[in-house]
Amino acid sequence: MNDSMSIISLFFHAGLIVQLIMLILLAASVLSWVLIFQRAFALKRDERDLDEFESHFWSGVDLNELYREVPADNPQGAAHIFRSGFREFNRLLPKSRSHNAVLEGVERSMRVSVSREEERLTTHLAILAIISSSAVYVGLFGTVWGILGTFQALGGAQQVSLGTIAPAIAEALVATAMGLFAAIPANIGYNRLTHKADKLMVRMENFAEEFHAFLHRNLQNRSTGENT
Amino acid sequence: MARHDRRVGYTLPTVLAVLLHVGVIGLTVFRWPQSDPVETSNAVVQAELISMETATDQAQQATEAQPKAQQGPEREQPEPEATQDDAAEETARQQAEAAEQAREQAAQEAQEAAQRRAEQAREVATQQMQEQQAREKSEAEAKQKAEAEAKQKAEAEAKQKAEAEAKQKAEAEAKQKAEAEAKKKAEAEAKKKAEAEAKKKAEAEAKKKAEAEAKKKAEAEAAAKKKAAAEAAAKKKAEADRKRAAEAAAAASQDAFGDEITNEAESIANARQAQEASNGFMNLVRRAVEQSWSRPPNAASGLVTVVRVQLLPTGELLSATVSSSSGDPGFDRSAVQAVERAAPFTEMSQLPAEARQKFRSFNLRFNPEDVR
Repeated sequence: MNDSMSIISLFFHAGLIVQLIMLILLAASVLSWVLIFQRAFALKRDERDLDEFESHFWSGVDLNELYREVPADNPQGAAHIFRSGFREFNRLLPKSRSHNAVLEGVERSMRVSVSREEERLTTHLAILAIISSSAVYVGLFGTVWGILGTFQALGGAQQVSLGTIAPAIAEALVATAMGLFAAIPANIGYNRLTHKADKLMVRMENFAEEFHAFLHRNLQNRSTGENT
Repeated sequence: MARHDRRVGYTLPTVLAVLLHVGVIGLTVFRWPQSDPVETSNAVVQAELISMETATDQAQQATEAQPKAQQGPEREQPEPEATQDDAAEETARQQAEAAEQAREQAAQEAQEAAQRRAEQAREVATQQMQEQQAREKSEAEAKQKAEAEAKQKAEAEAKQKAEAEAKQKAEAEAKQKAEAEAKKKAEAEAKKKAEAEAKKKAEAEAKKKAEAEAKKKAEAEAAAKKKAAAEAAAKKKAEADRKRAAEAAAAASQDAFGDEITNEAESIANARQAQEASNGFMNLVRRAVEQSWSRPPNAASGLVTVVRVQLLPTGELLSATVSSSSGDPGFDRSAVQAVERAAPFTEMSQLPAEARQKFRSFNLRFNPEDVR
């Protein structure tokens, strides 16, 4: 009784298609957990980096020095935004006479980098969303298929009792259980990770705005300095 | 800020995810059996069958047993007849007796099968059936006689063969011995060559004679065999034709009542199947009664009531009476009402007729303390 109802034995007794679906769901579950762990670690690191960079930025360090500190190849997070914005600022400042043109260019450049960061933060989250929404249906399909087979087999049986139906139904229901097993963590992980990514995005956008304002103020100071 | 270059790899998350799944699967494997609840009897109330055989049942069974006992000797009767016919010959042919008996038994079984069919048909069928039975019987008897004759002939042949073989063997052995002795003598003693040659010649002549005799005998036997085989084949054909005709007639008659007859035959033949079916039926009745029993709430503990249940062949309830009261009239009434509510037991109609007779009357014991 115990052996016949354990998940493993139920899996091995199920039909080929149900087994295939269960394997797919197992793979989806593993994949979703890999992504959950990977994204959680990555977002945590991004958050920490953002904290560090912001505190460094507002500590009153010279922007040229900061620009040099930031790695030139493939910076991430707020450093990326700062670097692209400051580089654009330095490039445009000597060429254009109008401050507005400089600020527009800086803003555009920073917007591009912000959207790049957003793309980076939300990578693979779409896969989690797909797993969370479709795993249940895949599992249900496996169950329906298994029950279909069961009833087809029952059609030929002379006497039908609960004892003959129950094991087959249990086998079929394992598919739904596995679908839920894959979908629930994926759904929770997806919601939590998107929330985290959104929060980081808001912070980065705020930083971009603040940096923009900082540069604007800087330009204003320069212009007043030039005028006087 | 060198940290920015480092990207979060996928190896650690993969390892974690795989470990997590292995852990979950391990939990299902090792925890599942422990957490599985011990099987509990889900019956709220157990009504136990204490005895299926009541006085009337025993009487019925006795009447049932009588025809069976009568059938036994009837089947054995053909045996002595056949043996008496063969008795004189068999004394002379004791060696072939065993084989003959086996054949006779086979023939008797065939005859018994035919008789059974005939009896079954008799029970159910009309006059046409009876005529067919008569035909079958006469045919079966004719068959038997023909078979017996064929057997006798076959036995005679077998005997002749055995004798011939024995003679041949004896001759061959004698030859071999003589040769061996002659060789030994020739090798060992050169003086006795002439004697040995004379002996050899004599032996050779004897051999030739013996071979000629053996050939003659073999030819005679072969001729006898051929004759017997031809006769046997002709008889077999005739028997086969008769059998076919009989079977066709029997099949035609059986088709009409096919299922019932086969069911009856099975129930008579294997009492085990009937018992299994009866157990299944008793369980059904018990379960039905259990489900429809509402035990009076104020009943004292330790009450046991035995209800005598009588059923019609259709499974409808004829009567349910308290045969052994618990002392609490309310409790007794609830038990009787449970039986009345559970009736009719339509599964009765699915039982074979033999088993159906058994369940016309039985006792149900209501003992709620059996559960807990």
